[in-house]
Amino acid sequence: MPQAQTQQFGVVDYQEEDAIDFPLGLPAFEQEHLFLTIERPQTKPLVFLQSLCRADLCFVALPLLVVDPAYKLSVSAEDLRVLGLTEFLESGRQPAIGTNVEALVIMAVTNSRPTANLLAPVIVSLAAPGDKKPSRRVGVQAIRIDRDYSHEHPWGPEPC
Amino acid sequence: MLVIRRKAGESFRIGEDVEIQILEASGGQVKIGIRAPRDVPVLRTEVWVTAVQNQKAACAAAAESLTDQIVRQFLTLPPNSSSSSK
Repeated sequence: MPQAQTQQFGVVDYQEEDAIDFPLGLPAFEQEHLFLTIERPQTKPLVFLQSLCRADLCFVALPLLVVDPAYKLSVSAEDLRVLGLTEFLESGRQPAIGTNVEALVIMAVTNSRPTANLLAPVIVSLAAPGDKKPSRRVGVQAIRIDRDYSHEHPWGPEPC
Repeated sequence: MLVIRRKAGESFRIGEDVEIQILEASGGQVKIGIRAPRDVPVLRTEVWVTAVQNQKAACAAAAESLTDQIVRQFLTLPPNSSSSSK
């Protein structure tokens, strides 16, 4: 079983098919192509997006629908191609979260408050059911071109 | 913000090395050509914003206090309540 070196969690065992390939990397981290999602019972529903090449690179993320249950995806044609979801190119529809893709938002701190980057959710393809030898999952940070969502969406109550 | 009116085919310069040319303007869209040295990053604004945001998010120290804040947040919420604050 492969192992990941991480600063936050020490050495983590993982399944090869749980690694996510980001062919384009993430903006500002274009060289980082392989990530692993780590979930811990004590920090649920947080998802840690850990780089497999850099132990010190780990994003704190939340499932997109936890932050905004009514979120409307707008994944560009270019990103749909990266994800291999070409069927949505022809139909003009958007993939469904949970059915076609998994969606996460990267969290940051802005003025001492947690904020979610709803401008650019991380979209990960789901392995097709019944795939005997699942190909590696593919991910992309799908940056919207409209201005419907903020890159610093405040999350949680106002600080006291 | 400085505002310049230009037609398709016209251009303007920013500093010594950067030239911006309007290639095409029709139907509410403009096609722009940019001539700049290789070391000048040219990014769509939303990509730049996300790059800055990712750098902020990746800061390990920030991540740890962020984890605490979010976990505390969930612990203070009654089960099954909505977590978004609008």
